[in-house]
Amino acid sequence: MEGTIDSLLLGFSVAFRPDVLWYAFVGCLVGTLVGVLPGIGPLAGISILLPATFGLDATKAVIMLAGIYYGSQYGGSTTSILMRIPGEASSVMTCIDGYAMAQKGRAGAALSIAAVGSWIAGTFGVVVLTLIAPPLAGFALRFGPPEYTALLVLGLIFLAYMSSTALPRTLLMAAVGLLLGTVGIDNMTGHFRYAFDIPELGDGIGIVPVAVGLFGLGEILSTPSATVIGKVIAPKLRELLPNRTEWRQSAMPIARGSVLGFLVGLTPGSAHIISSFLSYAVERRLSKHPEEFGHGAVAGVAGPESANNAASTGAFVPMLALGLPTGPVTAVLMAALLIHGIPPGPALVNDHPDLFWGFVASMYVGNLMLLALNLPLVGVFVNVLRIPYAYLYPLVIMFCIVGVYVVNSSIVDVWIMLAMGVLGYLLRKFGLDPAPLVLGLVISPIFEMSLRQSLIMSNGNWTIFFTRPIALVLMIIGAGLLVWSALAFVRKRRDWRSQLAEVEASE
Amino acid sequence: MIARTDHVAGAAAIILGLLVFALSGDLPFGSLSFPGAGMWPKLICVLMIALGILLLARAGASSPVAEIDWSNLRHAAIVTAATAAAIALYPTLGFIVSIGLLLAGLTLLERGRPVFAAIYGISISVAVYALFTVLLKSPLERGLIGF
Repeated sequence: MEGTIDSLLLGFSVAFRPDVLWYAFVGCLVGTLVGVLPGIGPLAGISILLPATFGLDATKAVIMLAGIYYGSQYGGSTTSILMRIPGEASSVMTCIDGYAMAQKGRAGAALSIAAVGSWIAGTFGVVVLTLIAPPLAGFALRFGPPEYTALLVLGLIFLAYMSSTALPRTLLMAAVGLLLGTVGIDNMTGHFRYAFDIPELGDGIGIVPVAVGLFGLGEILSTPSATVIGKVIAPKLRELLPNRTEWRQSAMPIARGSVLGFLVGLTPGSAHIISSFLSYAVERRLSKHPEEFGHGAVAGVAGPESANNAASTGAFVPMLALGLPTGPVTAVLMAALLIHGIPPGPALVNDHPDLFWGFVASMYVGNLMLLALNLPLVGVFVNVLRIPYAYLYPLVIMFCIVGVYVVNSSIVDVWIMLAMGVLGYLLRKFGLDPAPLVLGLVISPIFEMSLRQSLIMSNGNWTIFFTRPIALVLMIIGAGLLVWSALAFVRKRRDWRSQLAEVEASE
Repeated sequence: MIARTDHVAGAAAIILGLLVFALSGDLPFGSLSFPGAGMWPKLICVLMIALGILLLARAGASSPVAEIDWSNLRHAAIVTAATAAAIALYPTLGFIVSIGLLLAGLTLLERGRPVFAAIYGISISVAVYALFTVLLKSPLERGLIGF
């Protein structure tokens, strides 16, 4: 514990440097804007701004990009509450009761509860991350290739299990990503795979063009300007404080949402979306007045908003401790670290303590900044919402092109981004979630390498995955989840996943 | 039989799996004790084909293809064509001209007002060019005409 406190103090000494504070602030501000603006999610925002971090050192780069991620969770609530448009996918649930509160004249209170809940949950998430990430990283140092293979198998099964779309559909998208991840030179034998004599494909297909295409351009293609209309309810500054009853009603939902969100954030998939849905369902179930949900229930804002922020912090634990992304956003953040020559993983905490602890400490500071940004400046963000979408979306396309081009100065990457945008559009039409595709693309090289190394280690004996204790436990958990899913399928039972799918379909 | 979304997704998965498998012909599979460059992609192809078959088998639960809302197709097609044109022109004409044309063209299509669209396109592209090349030190394409 003493060691953790000392390390955290080291982190604060990094986080409080004026230049680091500045980049944390820029990340939080941009993240809030990304969350506020419909059509630009955190993934597109981070991917587009990734090239802007090339001139920075790794610590500032990752602090700024992470600020965009958790800042977008704060900002997403603004459009949900004031316009009934989720600025960010995880704010879908906030639309329901947040907008209803706004219609009753409680827009300011709803925004305050969302911001304070987000701050408490975000800070809670960082405290738990501070405590568990270092020991988990220490444990992960015992992982060899078989354990990593088993962990990735479990991760894929978990991803499919947690998804609101059907298990085969999620796995199919992950498989497409895994396949895209095989493009380029095979690191073990030097064979060119599926490069079609295009030199730029020798290094493989990058995460940035795929992520920006699927989530940035794909969203723009799916959203004609005529459909983005909405009346903005502008709250007055003096209306921002909730009354005593509203504070009391929000206390327990914030606490539950923080714990639930953090736990869901540890698992692969769209954790911040799932956590907000689960929190809403839990609060409605526990409420003495479930009939108020949908008509401006305070718990319907406090719970989901806390949960999605805690989830976004929880998602950093596997990334920092194990070097494994649980979602596309953490995958792009990992790519940012790799671009700066720092491999994320269990060794990060020992090899780069200033980066690890500086990053953790910056999240404490960042959450405070976001609280300060989101309440007094809500009027400014409301004005941003008044920019017509017809002018906004060409700008987003431009930043998609620039963001992708600047990474490698490669026009091939920009063409890949366009192709992925069209693919993203089509996937949405057929109800397929593009997030597992990005995840598959990122883990494909790690997965392939660990699988092949395991087989070479064991001289071709595949039972190596069942004879080493850690790998065996991970495999048993994966098999258990598969059996559970199969039972639910046979019994045709409706659980929270089918309910989430219905909400997403109706959104 | 009603064509459903999972019929399309399943068939696409099988076709893609078979296609990539065929393209992997010259990649060595290797052995279990020394896996070759072709083992991993071929395993994924098999997985994709299996998932495609599974989707086809249980496609009845998915929604009919006829129910897909294509009302935004025109917008998607215009944006795709405009973006493709800008990307194609980008190496030759450079950032300011190609992106300026993209911004002005899309704004003109959305709002009319050609003078405003032209000013909007040129001013934004010049500002972003300056931002990236001067402030962020990330060079953008200058093109044959020098900017």
